[in-house]
Amino acid sequence: MIVTKKHLPRRTFLRGVGATLALPLLDGMVPAFAAVGASAATPARRFTVAYVPNGIQMEKWTPAAEGTAFELPPTLQPLAPFRDHVMVVTGLTNRPAFSVTGEGTGDHVRAAATFLTGVHPKKTEGPDIRAGVSMDQIAARVLGKDTQLSSLELCLDSNELIGACEAGYSCAYANTLSWRNPTTPLPMENQPRAVFERLFGDSDNTTQAARLARIQDDRSVLDSLVAEVTRLQKRLAPPDRGKLTQYLDAIRDIERRIQKAEEQSAIALPVMERPSGGIPSTFAEHARMMFDLQVLAYQCDLTRVTTFLMSREVSPRTYTEIGIPDPHHGLSHHQNNPASMAKLAKINTFHVDQLAYFLGKLKATPDGDGSLLDHVTILYGCGISNSNEHTHDNLPILVIGGETKTGRHVKVAKDTPLTNLQLTLLNTLGVPMDGLGDSTGQLEFVSGV
Amino acid sequence: MGVVALAGAVGLQSAPQLPSLPSGVPATSGGAPSVDPAAVLRQYCITCHNDQRKTAGLLLDRANLQDVAESAEVWEKVVRKLHDGSMPPQGLPRPNRQTADALAAWLSISLDRAAAAHPNPGRTPALHRLNRAEYTNAIHDLLAMDVSSALLPPDDSGYGFDNIADVLSVSPMLTERYLSAALKISRLAVGDPAILPVTETFAVNKYLRQDDRLNESLPFASRGGLAIRYYFPVDGDYVVKIFFDRTYDGRIRGLSDAHLLEVRVNGERVSQTTVGTSADAPVARGRGSRNVDVDGMEVRIAAKAGPAVIGISFVRSVAEPEGMLRPPYPVTSYEYAGDATLPAGIGRVELRGPYDVKGAGNSPSRQRIFVCKPDQGAGLRAEGSRTAAQGLGLRAEGSRTAAAQGAGPRAAGADEACAKRILSTLARRAYRRPVTDADLQPLLAFYHQGAGNSERSGARPEEPRKRSEPSGAKGPPRVRFDGGIEAALRRILVSPDFLFRTEHDPATPAAGRAYRISDLDLASRLSFFIWSSIPDDQLLDLATRGQLRKPGVLEQQVRRMFADVRSRSLVSNFAGQWLYLRNVNLVSPDPVVFPEFDENLRQAFQTETDLFLDSQLRGDRSVSELLTADYTFVNERLARHYGIPNVYGSHFRRVTPADARRNGLLGKGSILTLTSYANRTSPVLRGKWLLENILGAPPPPPPPNVPALTENQAGSTPRSVRERLEQHRANPVCASCHKIMDPLGFALENFDAIGRWRAASEAGTPIDASGVLVDGTSVDGPASLRQALLAHREDFVRTVAEKLLTYALGRGVEYYDQPAVRQIMSKAAKDDYRWSALVLSIVQSAPFQMRLSSAPPVPDNSAVRPSAR
Repeated sequence: MIVTKKHLPRRTFLRGVGATLALPLLDGMVPAFAAVGASAATPARRFTVAYVPNGIQMEKWTPAAEGTAFELPPTLQPLAPFRDHVMVVTGLTNRPAFSVTGEGTGDHVRAAATFLTGVHPKKTEGPDIRAGVSMDQIAARVLGKDTQLSSLELCLDSNELIGACEAGYSCAYANTLSWRNPTTPLPMENQPRAVFERLFGDSDNTTQAARLARIQDDRSVLDSLVAEVTRLQKRLAPPDRGKLTQYLDAIRDIERRIQKAEEQSAIALPVMERPSGGIPSTFAEHARMMFDLQVLAYQCDLTRVTTFLMSREVSPRTYTEIGIPDPHHGLSHHQNNPASMAKLAKINTFHVDQLAYFLGKLKATPDGDGSLLDHVTILYGCGISNSNEHTHDNLPILVIGGETKTGRHVKVAKDTPLTNLQLTLLNTLGVPMDGLGDSTGQLEFVSGV
Repeated sequence: MGVVALAGAVGLQSAPQLPSLPSGVPATSGGAPSVDPAAVLRQYCITCHNDQRKTAGLLLDRANLQDVAESAEVWEKVVRKLHDGSMPPQGLPRPNRQTADALAAWLSISLDRAAAAHPNPGRTPALHRLNRAEYTNAIHDLLAMDVSSALLPPDDSGYGFDNIADVLSVSPMLTERYLSAALKISRLAVGDPAILPVTETFAVNKYLRQDDRLNESLPFASRGGLAIRYYFPVDGDYVVKIFFDRTYDGRIRGLSDAHLLEVRVNGERVSQTTVGTSADAPVARGRGSRNVDVDGMEVRIAAKAGPAVIGISFVRSVAEPEGMLRPPYPVTSYEYAGDATLPAGIGRVELRGPYDVKGAGNSPSRQRIFVCKPDQGAGLRAEGSRTAAQGLGLRAEGSRTAAAQGAGPRAAGADEACAKRILSTLARRAYRRPVTDADLQPLLAFYHQGAGNSERSGARPEEPRKRSEPSGAKGPPRVRFDGGIEAALRRILVSPDFLFRTEHDPATPAAGRAYRISDLDLASRLSFFIWSSIPDDQLLDLATRGQLRKPGVLEQQVRRMFADVRSRSLVSNFAGQWLYLRNVNLVSPDPVVFPEFDENLRQAFQTETDLFLDSQLRGDRSVSELLTADYTFVNERLARHYGIPNVYGSHFRRVTPADARRNGLLGKGSILTLTSYANRTSPVLRGKWLLENILGAPPPPPPPNVPALTENQAGSTPRSVRERLEQHRANPVCASCHKIMDPLGFALENFDAIGRWRAASEAGTPIDASGVLVDGTSVDGPASLRQALLAHREDFVRTVAEKLLTYALGRGVEYYDQPAVRQIMSKAAKDDYRWSALVLSIVQSAPFQMRLSSAPPVPDNSAVRPSAR
């Protein structure tokens, strides 16, 4: 039996707080959750980290001039429309990523594991992994108090590659940037559909009554689980309880989230599309869809912290869509071969292209008295500068948006720790901290001067 | 036994004169070779490894030779170094092979005796979370339902496997996914008639050529398309929406010809349509292939609840096109991407539904769940006729009120009795143990809540639940009963008893003592090892009755489980990870260098290796045949790739090629490709793979700041990988490892980076596959490499045994497991190292059968003391 076509709009617009946000890549019409944002009077502070791996061709990245008169170098050209929102910071050092005597290789993994923690990771392939709590999670503890999700961790790579983690290091170090505490890395999600459902629920019916019913269902399941897990825990020897404690913590997290969801259930619902299952076939589509989801999460004020691993260290991804069939990591060991270096710079620029897409979306989304771009602070960069030599100094770092003094290129003194910048960002975001990893103090130029 | 508590218990002090062990003593208690271990150690080892020089931190003069168990970790290290011949290093005085072997044997026998007297089975963590594969298998065995693994995020791995208890952590994100998976699964399994339509999208990989039959589930005379395994939640209508393959600029391919498109459900044709230009399909005429009217065409199908295969494919045309045959473009080329004259293909398919729900149906899941029917008279069969259900609705209303008043009339009582039976059957399987009243209480509370009887439940929810769906309180009793079961099932699926394997110490544990795990724990260890899933009823029954360890029973069960189809998980989960085969999904050969590589070839690689491993493991061959077996499995596409003649058609068949190139694992395209770079072979990667996975001697990581291999510069004369590696090995630091790795890899140089046989390198020079292995064996190609590896058969088997033990236990294999490893090997040797023998001897080993009780709690730590306040 053949049925004639049923009309289903392929493109719909999100109508929230006057915003029109096209979601061309999302498909499958379902009504979903609301857009609110914080109240217009006090725009929320938000924080996004985006990480790219395998080093950067620094000569194409570093602006020639310092200060406000800098010109965007080739790799950063896609950011031209947002130049005044961008601060290029060069010269920072990530000392915790250096190898200690006898430790040998593993610079890629250490670059990722230290990027937000500032703590030298323990070299192990076993379960005794250890780094430090990451600064995005420190931010999430404060910024995430009022939102359903304290943070959102996203990536694009499948972490199913076997035997591909760098010598002697557990894959956990490379698969995430976010650490809830020094021994608990937070997994990152690469399926747009799963992220969507995490944000807006997996229910197909989003009327307020249905949502409240679902919340009650969830709550009674969680309540009864807490009772059962607690009972089970008592039967175990104290050293064995760790995993159940994790489970209990997770349950409490979700309870808190449900509480928020219930408080916010009266919100009016716009119509929005839900991504189809699976992974988009090109890097750009995938990256943009993930950025779309982050914009949505901010717009609906479901979270105020996102951490996005755009590609993991040692990634062998090939970028055939921009004519680069060579694996990224292999290419990054370019041996100063001009052809390889040119390709690497092309990948660097391609990544910045996706960032520019995100900035465009943020700028087009009104928030408070301005746009989301005014209220999201973004840290973009890599824990390696020269990929050929695995150097962890003079790192490629961008600070974008938010309340920072952007529109400048700042060169810091040699050996200034990366954590000084992060410490400063945390304080700027209203997360008062005295120290972080190997930090030695705050950087005044970020918000002052 | 105390066999090794010998005379002269002075211990090896730093004092110069070592007590000489009477070499005859160990021999008296059976089989130990005649050697004076202390003398050999003194002569060859202690010159470096002593208290003063502390070479590698190993103080052999301090280690106890009288009671080897005291220094077991050190001695196991010595045994290993002696076995692989890496110590003493080249250039220093070395014992001859015989002496080294004798010392190794003396040490291992002494260690084994000590272990037999005081076994140390290690301590598997008390809680072991099910990983994604185990979870989906458990759902399959529990509810007769296949669910997508995408319901859950992938798991981290350790020691090369993703079932390592310590590494399997729990995050809020994962817990949310568990909650949502439980909701989806319980709803599908019970078949909630109020389920809302959902859309699932299934895309066809754009690098898959749709010029042949693509799947064993598609009809023989089909071409292209896809077969979707789908679970219809209820009896009802579903819509298949078909989108065609397009060129990069958006034109639908192949519409200038007529193609017959078929949709089949479980092999039965439900629709046949002509797409493209033809007399009865004029839509495309005059507008060429830009016509998109057919795109998104919908086929509505009426389906019964349960699993089904939906096949969407074209009927293969019998006629060959006229004119000159054009050489096929690479799938990655612009020509291919832009060619609208290629035969039509499927781009993606959306499946929506259900619409017009007829009822919950009688799916295999429902048959599995509903082991009884609530006592509601004959009118209420599983399908539930609407009128009967409505009629009875009134009765049930009444009885609910009555129940609330405590009168307990028959209907409600029978409902609850049936619910109890259903839930205890489910919970027993899900929790893998007999269930108690305490287990059932929360489930019944959810049953009542889900059935809208919450005032009876006495459970948490303060307010009666307001289900917005008809399956809630307002529905007819049949639907309400189902709703109750659904709610309780959801609760089962998030219970820690389901999600975690828990091993409890015995009630009165002596701290740090080895004990035999319970029969029930053993049943779970067995099923998760051999099936990656929950035990079945037979295994549970035996364990519950305490008969699992009765003579012969355990072996009989292992053989039964090994023969069962569920043991395929040993191929997909164990071998797939051990040999890195899962990575075949992720390799992307350089399309410029290897334009031939398409999705069809990738899938053929996977199928070949799967079938081959299945025939070896589940066919119960000897482990070493993995390296030598002279047959493989090919279809036409793969045979062409391999140069095997006379193979036609898309289905895979077992062939024994005339030459030995494809023998064993080393001839398989999958492994050769995943150990190559995207654009060239890598003898280093291949050598490393062999050392790690076949010989069990992983090379140390490269030292810092080594220069990478120079790539060929554009414009310059290309040099072969061999030339470039030789330059690399000129550096002595590099050479120390590369002289071990490289010759192994070079022997496979006749296979290019996508596993094709070749005679010339990328430099155009003839392939030179010769080399000298570190043990002095000369090799000059895959055949001699296989022979050389077979000479190390013991190493290979030990590698397999250790990997399999790691996988079986879900923890790393430690020095104290070595006696067990040796025992596993010697037991399996009696049966020619057949897979079943390895599996069985692992099951019988101490680390699998036993466990250490928890170490005594650290004193002075009030935080961990049991709460006494």
